[in-house]
Amino acid sequence: MKMSGIIKSAVCFRFAVRQVGTFALICGLVLSSYAADSALQIQLDTKKASPRAVESLTERGILRDYRFAWTSMSQALELSTLDPLEGPFAGEAKRVLRDTVVSQQHSGLSQQYVNQNHRVEAVFYSPEGDVMELHDTAEYELRISDGGKIIHDEKVVMHFVVLMTPGADRWVIRQLQAVPQS
Amino acid sequence: MRRTLLIYVALCLGGSMAGSAQDLRVPASVTAGDEAAISTTGSGKATLYLLGPGVARKTDVNLGEEIHLQAQDLRNAGDYLALVCSDTCHSGTFYVTASKPASLAFLVHPSRVPVGRGDALSGVAFPFDQFRNLVLTPATINFQLTAGDKSLFSRPVRTQNGAAWFRTASGKSAGVVQVTASVDDVSARRAVQQVASEPCNLRITGQRIPIGILVQTEPVHDCAGNVVPDGTIVTFSAAEANGKSTVDAPVKQGIARAQIEASGTTVISVASGVVMGNELRIGAKQ
Repeated sequence: MKMSGIIKSAVCFRFAVRQVGTFALICGLVLSSYAADSALQIQLDTKKASPRAVESLTERGILRDYRFAWTSMSQALELSTLDPLEGPFAGEAKRVLRDTVVSQQHSGLSQQYVNQNHRVEAVFYSPEGDVMELHDTAEYELRISDGGKIIHDEKVVMHFVVLMTPGADRWVIRQLQAVPQS
Repeated sequence: MRRTLLIYVALCLGGSMAGSAQDLRVPASVTAGDEAAISTTGSGKATLYLLGPGVARKTDVNLGEEIHLQAQDLRNAGDYLALVCSDTCHSGTFYVTASKPASLAFLVHPSRVPVGRGDALSGVAFPFDQFRNLVLTPATINFQLTAGDKSLFSRPVRTQNGAAWFRTASGKSAGVVQVTASVDDVSARRAVQQVASEPCNLRITGQRIPIGILVQTEPVHDCAGNVVPDGTIVTFSAAEANGKSTVDAPVKQGIARAQIEASGTTVISVASGVVMGNELRIGAKQ
């Protein structure tokens, strides 16, 4: 009986430790996600979109999903993990980001996008609403680390051409291409 | 043909010690899939970090030597950061731009459209190079609609920010229409089924039969003379002294038929969608 009690206690203890560990991990991920997201500012201007006008509900969806995509991309490149890329990216954008992450995993490099500020303009919205082109002027601090040691830290202004298409329940990025300032 | 871009800088610092101060010069811009080179100054060993879309690698290099960047590392358009680190790090950025169009993403809506509708058909095309980079250099895309050998529509459209689009009315005849977008020797083709529009000039005939009245339409056409598709619903309404009845019948091979149970004098009318046809008066059963 005593032996059985000790075993039960040990099992309970291990279970409790596992639960606490899981809870801490979830809290950590949520806080990390919140921290990354809270430092990400996005302004979206859809007034010049043509030939189709962007309705306010669509604008809110684009804003929400574009923010989520950048948050996810930042996490993927910072932690060199592929999971965050599932969902907000599709097609070529997803392939390129996957290649980048895999390449980082091999080289031990990582990239951090800190204090992001995006000024996004919708420049094209197709007649049937199945594709939208955005131009993003993004300012952020880019930190490159090699094995955890920061080797490069620079404030940059980048211009991106983005193609988004509506998915089943969200807008997804299909093309994310940095371009020189025109 | 792939070319190597060679850019040289004057050596500003000499020295034979390993990892002595260095400078680097990156190409101004590179076309996707081309090779390129980075020039460095100084001497000794250093580490080159190359970060860009799809690439994040580090390699050992010798300062003072030209660093060769392979074409496979420069396939994705975007910005690239080159870092050369020895005792200190020096960086340079350059852009890889898309090469010439090699494919077209072409979206056409709808896949099935009634004839004679204004602005009913639209298409959007995006040119991509062989590495699936969006080609942002303006290009002229030719949009064409053809039915058999007959050209229904043709319009060249210059891409703006990589996108070109058109909108046009559907044609007059039912059938398959080929919609083509082409740029240089690249083209993409989609098919749109044009179907008859709303029925026009509905006419019915009827006759008394032992168990009631048999009514049928004449072949149902739209106003352009296209036979409406099978399955189009035609509604027959019969009114007689003791009440009114309605029956829906689908068009089969251009004609809709219905059998109505009525023994007295009956007035039969017909409609399909918002279109009304003629009225028919059938006398009482003898």
